[in-house]
Amino acid sequence: MIEQFAKEELENVAQKIEKEGISKDIRKRLAELGLLAATLPQSENGSGIDRRSFSLVLMTIAKYSASVAYFTYLQNTLVNEILSKAQKRKEEIIKIASGESTGTLVHDLNLNFPQEVYIKGYELYGSNSFVILPDADLHLVLARSESPSYLIMANPVKIEKKKPLGFRAISFGVASYKQTIEEDRIILKDADSLLKSHFFDTSDQIAAIALGMSESAVEKAIEYSKERKAFESYLYEFQPISAVLTDMKGRIEEMKKALMLSEVVQDRILLKLNALELSRLASRVALQIHGGYGYLEDLGVERYYRDSMFLTMLSSNYIKDIKTVSKEIISPDAFKI
Amino acid sequence: MSDLSFELPQEVEETRKRARDFALREFTNELIEHFDETEEYPNEIRKKVFDAGFITIENPWNMLVTMEEFCRVDPGIGLSTLASVFGSEILLLYGTDEQKEKYLYPTLKGEKISAVAVTEPGAGSDVAGISSRIEKTEKGWMLNGHKMFITNGTVADHYYLLARSAPPPSKEKRHHGLTLAIVERRWNGVNPVKLKGKLGMRATDTAEITFENVAVPNENIVGEEGKGFYIIMTFFNISRVYVAAQSVGTAQGILDLLLEYLAEKPASFREMEYVQFALAEISALIEAARNITYKAATKVFSFNPDPALTSMAKYYAAEIANQVANTAFKIVGIEASGSKLEKLYRDAKITEIWEGTSEIEKLVISRMILKKIQEVK
Repeated sequence: MIEQFAKEELENVAQKIEKEGISKDIRKRLAELGLLAATLPQSENGSGIDRRSFSLVLMTIAKYSASVAYFTYLQNTLVNEILSKAQKRKEEIIKIASGESTGTLVHDLNLNFPQEVYIKGYELYGSNSFVILPDADLHLVLARSESPSYLIMANPVKIEKKKPLGFRAISFGVASYKQTIEEDRIILKDADSLLKSHFFDTSDQIAAIALGMSESAVEKAIEYSKERKAFESYLYEFQPISAVLTDMKGRIEEMKKALMLSEVVQDRILLKLNALELSRLASRVALQIHGGYGYLEDLGVERYYRDSMFLTMLSSNYIKDIKTVSKEIISPDAFKI
Repeated sequence: MSDLSFELPQEVEETRKRARDFALREFTNELIEHFDETEEYPNEIRKKVFDAGFITIENPWNMLVTMEEFCRVDPGIGLSTLASVFGSEILLLYGTDEQKEKYLYPTLKGEKISAVAVTEPGAGSDVAGISSRIEKTEKGWMLNGHKMFITNGTVADHYYLLARSAPPPSKEKRHHGLTLAIVERRWNGVNPVKLKGKLGMRATDTAEITFENVAVPNENIVGEEGKGFYIIMTFFNISRVYVAAQSVGTAQGILDLLLEYLAEKPASFREMEYVQFALAEISALIEAARNITYKAATKVFSFNPDPALTSMAKYYAAEIANQVANTAFKIVGIEASGSKLEKLYRDAKITEIWEGTSEIEKLVISRMILKKIQEVK
């Protein structure tokens, strides 16, 4: 069903989506398919899909439109799952699950140093320069105070959009806040640690998006290698080209198996890092095989090159990720110096 | 064995400093963003580059270090301005006095812009596979064909164009029967169309050009009829050194930005050994790429080119530019979004594609090395 949706409703308009954004119609279709609250239990207006099935959904959508896959992840995993953890946020979940409104999570956990969004008393102020979907209807904002940190439902006083490297169907930019918060808008305390563990726990979903993108990039390159000739032979007939494409295919298949087996959080983080690296490599190979044509946006190949790096930037801080896993699997003293 | 000197002459070092100062002053962030966004050709900056005397054939080292320093600040504007004389070495080496007078000297004065038109929709790396035809007529030559990804295609006054003038004598000699001609952009039948939407290098002008029954006078044929392939390969041996310098400059620019980022952050961040090792690796790779580029340039500029070495320099420096971009992103992460680092990441990719893909460079290198086995036998 998801494959059919992605193939019929996303494949041919993927470039248009990148230029014009994710339309209300697409949001509506994602809602009808139950994907915007996919992993929430049915009792909380969700679809009750298990996490592995949801990873497969994201991987399938990412093959046709990485932006739509990331948007789905953002709404389901970063907004609705967190709202669900906060409890008693039924109304907001219903709106986002139906596609009627959109949400975003504003945080600084992937930055090397915190951004300055603070809460003092009930005063929220400051800005974050790296917000995905800053024009969302609902902002869940990680605000820091002396102790602890809070997650707050807020509205920005100002947003400034920037052209992102990738996922150009989704807006990106700066969001500034200055408002007095009512107590019921504070939805989580100690939000910092809760969000960190949520990100780590759902790392396999990012891996799934990266694998979908890799698969699509490599398939495009294989297709092109069967059409394009150089030196009177098809590209796929050249040994180095066949070898690199076969190697990529093999690595993708191995990682897909690992995706279905990742039980513990460390495995999921490592899988995410490896899948992101693979997606950057696969996109570079695909672009290289397409040559000059790949460098132009018309064929949609350069998009993989931008999207794979942007997904890496949005979803990972290599130093923080590898540090977390090192401490877990080697020693608490690892990665100290 | 005598000591090797790794020092460039003082005059060249002075040019490097002037080029760096010029680029930092003239390639403002505002202009870099403007040309990246609009994909316009930076013609006003090109004129300033000429006025400042950076384009000269008297000492090619000056052009090489200028390429490096310009691309260090912005590869798009840097390459656009310096490549406005693209292909001039062809006339310098093979042109007649009349051709030099009419096309080369005005180009070197900044009065005209030149381009090299070799790549075709069905023949990129495979130069011998081109299908544009130039045929003899009673009054001169007639050109019909289609060229693709031509740098300066819509802004050039003339192109140095390769087309087939005779069928290849055999499958093994496909490179025979190709002729080089000077074709003016404003002639009847020449139709250049700008290609927009490139991943990077968006300040460079790139075009698809069709040629329909274009009359080319006899005096515009360069070198010997049917020997155009050799002329172009000689030219690539020169131009690939400049692309290597483009890559070195781009990689150095990425390192500059990384250092700026680290300088802004608390010392504890740069004291992390993971960061320090990455910095050390990047620096070593760039230094190695620069050295191989200069070694190849030494051979080319002393009229003793080593095609394998030139291809090694072009391939290796391009590989390093892209690798350095990836490593820098790993450290800076999402904070690189919307920054110049992001732009250099997009710009760097082209170095593995144009003037011979990395795959072609590897073929050149291995063929030259394998020749040595035959010599031993």
